[in-house]
Amino acid sequence: MDTNNLLAAWPVLGPGVAGAVFGAGWWFWVDAVVCSAAAVPFLHYLPGFFASFAALMFNSVSREDIGDGYYSPYDDSEWRVKLWLFISYVVSFVSLAGAVGFLVQDALTNTGPSAWTGTAGVLQCVCILVSGLMYWTCHSED
Amino acid sequence: MSSSSSSSSAAAAAAAGLAGLAFMFSTSILLQILVALMYVLVPMPCLFFGGGSTHFLTSREGGGWINAAKFLTGASAMGSLAIPAILRHAGLIETGAMFIEFTSFFILVCTVLCFHRATLDEDW
Repeated sequence: MDTNNLLAAWPVLGPGVAGAVFGAGWWFWVDAVVCSAAAVPFLHYLPGFFASFAALMFNSVSREDIGDGYYSPYDDSEWRVKLWLFISYVVSFVSLAGAVGFLVQDALTNTGPSAWTGTAGVLQCVCILVSGLMYWTCHSED
Repeated sequence: MSSSSSSSSAAAAAAAGLAGLAFMFSTSILLQILVALMYVLVPMPCLFFGGGSTHFLTSREGGGWINAAKFLTGASAMGSLAIPAILRHAGLIETGAMFIEFTSFFILVCTVLCFHRATLDEDW
């Protein structure tokens, strides 16, 4: 019963929860930058920006475009949507890998940002991408 | 000589005390501004996209703008929870002030939910 109610309530609550998780991701990063003793180089900001861009990318296509509900022999534009989604997947994967790389670098060196900065960067990327996925599952078009 | 040095050190201590008080005052003003800002910012997406009532919060129908309004409301609500935590982490405010902020946010959420329930019961 509870899972049925949750599934029914998801389109109502989902966008708000996705917004909260997105905000949490960016606020983790703000906390790390504010509380960092060393100056955080601009390169460390990039994974968060690219993750946000990737979340925006895969939320800008409508889900019905890639469904096979209606097939028309005259309409071959499905490959564009799939290419767009593939590129957004690549960008999100690279941003996550970059954040993990910065975490390893911050943990191993004493100069530069601390380990909390690297951890916050990874949390930021994960939260942003999870929020994008949540929004993708619950946004409805009409 | 010693009296002048002791008086100068007393003056320095008084100046440091005054600076500490000024810092506390500015932090409290910051928190007051923050709370007022949040009372304005958090309802704004719902004001602009909500259609004049709170019915859209629990309605099934979606729509691009309503989903965007819910997303922005969630993000700004998270911001009003995150800013006191960041200030506490940076050592600018005490833990008690952070919990006071959380309590005020909780009361605001309860007010919105009670208003929503109350307007649902009205017959037009």
